[in-house]
Amino acid sequence: MTAEAASLVPSFVVFQVGSRRVALARDCVAELIASPLQFSFPHTTPLITGVVLRRGRIVPVLDLGPGLLGVPSPPARFFLVVERRTSDISERCAIPVQGECELVAGVMLPADGKDEYVSGSMDLNQEQIDVLDLEKAIAGGAMRAEETITAAEALS
Amino acid sequence: MTQPVSSSMKPRESRRREQVAVFSIAQYSFVISAASVQEIRSTDSLGGTVVDLDRPVMKKVRHIVERDGRAYYVVSGYEHFHLPQSRPTTVLILRSAPVAVLVDRIEEMAEMRVLLSLPQSFRGEERMWYRGLTVMDRKVLPVANPQGFLTAGELQQLEEQNPGLLQSAAAHQLERGRV
Repeated sequence: MTAEAASLVPSFVVFQVGSRRVALARDCVAELIASPLQFSFPHTTPLITGVVLRRGRIVPVLDLGPGLLGVPSPPARFFLVVERRTSDISERCAIPVQGECELVAGVMLPADGKDEYVSGSMDLNQEQIDVLDLEKAIAGGAMRAEETITAAEALS
Repeated sequence: MTQPVSSSMKPRESRRREQVAVFSIAQYSFVISAASVQEIRSTDSLGGTVVDLDRPVMKKVRHIVERDGRAYYVVSGYEHFHLPQSRPTTVLILRSAPVAVLVDRIEEMAEMRVLLSLPQSFRGEERMWYRGLTVMDRKVLPVANPQGFLTAGELQQLEEQNPGLLQSAAAHQLERGRV
């Protein structure tokens, strides 16, 4: 493959949330940072576990665990800083990740439709890795977290 | 008053400084503009001037406190921020609203050098609770919005359910002062 052709192959960042390996398109990942000091304060937004200070910017920390695993993800050594771009949000967020991250080039196959937040899958050493639609993963996780809170309140 | 900038810090020379009080509730610290606080009192010193609400319409407000001819709704800080029950020892009497906030303690008076806007990812009640975030001693702290402890709608609801109570409590205090 020529360098020009290789540059046309999309690349993905593969990372681990709890026990699950997933991927995001390379262009929505800004950087990987190691164990920043996390600050927390009261709030009511699901999935946000605190904020980190990064190069003079406040970066909210978003745990994808509730959406992908059904439970909060375990303590993380690294945070993947991603760009959120929606009609009303344009900012960086940090996602706690476990294990190592890899930057891989590959072709994304269409999603099987099982999980709404999966936009496709890619083959990595014969392992099928789900490629996430970040905003759908956040929205789905938030909904799940809110349902858990409502159920807990109903039981208390 | 310090205006919120974006969530990144501006060069030092363009920042405006603001005197603030740092207070704590449960394990959390918060900042509030000193200009928005009229008085800081120990809860012990308010004993004789507290009136129960006829109809407490929200969990966080159960009493009225009278001070110098004015009456204030007492807002429980831990209930307001949905925190576990704490031990308030201090009350912040606000200047611009008929609100007195119960907090655990005052940690320090300090100078706030930067006010950063709350990241857009925060979508809940915190957008009303906080003016933004600040960095002090390398810690990120939320800056309380004095108008956020009781919104205009909540004040109206309290007044509707306890008509005239705030005014009569204040009048009673004034009368007692004259005797």
